Amino acid sequence: MLSKNKKIPKVGIGGPVGSGKSRLIERVVPVLIEKGYRCCIISNDVISKEDAERMQRVLATELKVMPENMIIGIATGGCPHTAIREDPTINLAVIDEIEKKDPTLDLIIIESGGDNVMTTFSPSLADYFIYIIDVAGGDKYPRKGGLGIESSDLLVINKIDLAPHVGADLAVMERDAKKIRKEKPFVFVNCQTGEGINLVAENIIRSILFDKEPIVKKDRIV
Amino acid sequence: MNTDHEFFLMQFSDSFFPSGMFSLSNGLESLVKRQVVKNDKDVLNFIEQQIEFQIVPCDCMIFLAAFDAVRNKNVEELVQADKRFYSMRLIKEARNSSVRSGSQILNCAIQMALDKDDNKIAKQFQKLISSNHTPGTYPACLGIITSIFGIPPESGIRIMLYSFSQSIVGAAIRLGVIEHIAGQKTLSSLSIKINDISKNIKKQPLDNLWQLTPLTDIFQMMHEYDNSKMFIT
Repeated sequence: MLSKNKKIPKVGIGGPVGSGKSRLIERVVPVLIEKGYRCCIISNDVISKEDAERMQRVLATELKVMPENMIIGIATGGCPHTAIREDPTINLAVIDEIEKKDPTLDLIIIESGGDNVMTTFSPSLADYFIYIIDVAGGDKYPRKGGLGIESSDLLVINKIDLAPHVGADLAVMERDAKKIRKEKPFVFVNCQTGEGINLVAENIIRSILFDKEPIVKKDRIV
Repeated sequence: MNTDHEFFLMQFSDSFFPSGMFSLSNGLESLVKRQVVKNDKDVLNFIEQQIEFQIVPCDCMIFLAAFDAVRNKNVEELVQADKRFYSMRLIKEARNSSVRSGSQILNCAIQMALDKDDNKIAKQFQKLISSNHTPGTYPACLGIITSIFGIPPESGIRIMLYSFSQSIVGAAIRLGVIEHIAGQKTLSSLSIKINDISKNIKKQPLDNLWQLTPLTDIFQMMHEYDNSKMFIT
């Protein structure tokens, strides 16, 4: 449920370094935009704004699906979890600025800097939390648990194409994910090919946008 | 001696208080990267210089002006002080950070102080921030908060100087310039200076504000264009 005073729904995406957080956003956002939802992205990065700049290049310059100024980079001073949980001040301030600038946006996506398995988002920052891991970390990953894997609203398991190359058994990951997450959803994806991406987009639309129509019709998107 | 305010003094100066300070190095990162600051002595020197030539003559004066404005229930005075500080922050990153931090600590304090009389003026000021009539800088907002919570001005100055010093020391540790014991030694060696300033500081008219940290300013400007950085400023 959206909490009081929140205007634009917010999705938080967290996960370990190299799990594919930025790539997931690059894949999901065009799907959402194609359906008419207008998004803004805040990318928290530990030591640079490289992820934000890459997303600007992919989503604004190459795919031309959103304006460059709708992808904002924040350097978090080596404390990615602090910036999204204990002290989300800077992210909240940037969200205030975005909401002031364009209250008609349908969604704000907040990417955490790469962090450990205990990542969670402050409820004041994200209404919906996606945690992403990748197969290359081994099929033990879901079984080992951690707040991100256990408590996220959606667990995304990326790089499924690498399973045979790293000796990971997707059936084991599926079994353990079901066991540890109980009724909560998880999806297998391959961000390189786009496999499973529609499922992620559908989860976002159903769970946080409540299947509502985009605020601004697609033909009015600049 | 009334010590009721001491709990809030600790709460607001605690690095756990959500002010966004952990993401700021106030120019230190740039100075470390370019090897101007290399060790614990340099870190201490940097903090002392910034306190003497930036924080006390400018930030602290805005803090005191805001503090008094709340006591006088004068929103116009608050706005004047806030705008003056914003105009004096020459570095874009530093200016933006101050505004982001200020508006958020104010919001947090307003939620905490729903039953306090002075909260009305804080809410009024917050509305002016929302409608872009005033920026909502950190020292102005801290002045409002400490006034609302009954913290004496000299203790508020101590919060400001300690929080600044602590954020620089924290940044220095994360940048690998000093280790944790040296960090605590650096902080404790500042206690006499900070206590002395807090006891003797006097409010000045806004026209008397000044600041002079050109080296830090230049390095902060360079920091804005660095590709790889841990801190916002």
